[in-house]
Amino acid sequence: MRYAKVYAEDVNVGDALPALVKGPIQQIQLTRYAGASGDFNPIHQDDEFAKAAGMGGVFAHGMLSMGFVAQALTDWAGAGRVRKLGVRFAALVRLKDVVTCHGRVVSKSSKEDVHLVELDVWAENQRGEKVVTGRATVALPSRV
Amino acid sequence: MPTQLNRAVIGKEFPPYAVTVERGKIKEFARAIGDPSPFYLDDRVGAASEWGDIIAPPTFATTFRDESADTSALLRELGTDISRVLHGEQEFEIHRPLQPGRTYLCRAKVVDIYEKAGKSGPMAFVVRETTVTDGADEIVGTMRAVTVVRL
Repeated sequence: MRYAKVYAEDVNVGDALPALVKGPIQQIQLTRYAGASGDFNPIHQDDEFAKAAGMGGVFAHGMLSMGFVAQALTDWAGAGRVRKLGVRFAALVRLKDVVTCHGRVVSKSSKEDVHLVELDVWAENQRGEKVVTGRATVALPSRV
Repeated sequence: MPTQLNRAVIGKEFPPYAVTVERGKIKEFARAIGDPSPFYLDDRVGAASEWGDIIAPPTFATTFRDESADTSALLRELGTDISRVLHGEQEFEIHRPLQPGRTYLCRAKVVDIYEKAGKSGPMAFVVRETTVTDGADEIVGTMRAVTVVRL
């Protein structure tokens, strides 16, 4: 059964994804993400280690924020529709930060049965500072 | 005096390593992100889907680690350590979603190292690419990671 959250025909350049709000970030989520991802860098767990490393304290895995951006994409496009996601980690996400993920359609293309939509994606903290910026491509089903 | 990275690492290919995706690991990963999609979490929804089983979220391949190709091994070889690094960029290309019970082969390679002056001093950017293939030796995805080293 092929499901669709959105069809290629219904997408227009300039369309915005519904914003996805994640957080406030808690230490327990970073610990959980470490276990789930296998990234046990103490810089995300141990405040003293992070301070000694000159980072001013614990901060979130960049990959957790990327996971949030991926969720914003799949909430809109459907699970399994992401073909490409590339991001730059622009600023650190700290404990108690609220991360809001956004996306905007920048182009559409169709070739035979494949309907691709390219998007700008980004995430901001509660002060409106970009913490993640990137590009994504999703493949959407067609109504025909 | 800033650290000198071992540039001989450019072009290094790590030994290929196999990863078998566990069903529980996909769910643990989705839950850690806080993504409740039933396509990741519900076996019945997965079974009824076009993929015939649950699938992994887009960034799941980040869990594909191996002693020989993981970041700490690379950092040792570069001549630095984990307290000096940040994740700068990450990209996933996904040809097909990853699924439980399947075994994938990962081939990781250091494709570039370049230096730049950062706000807080010199930094090096280490670019690593990993190709993920399935049992039929078809590419299901690639990952590109840029690690920033504070020199």
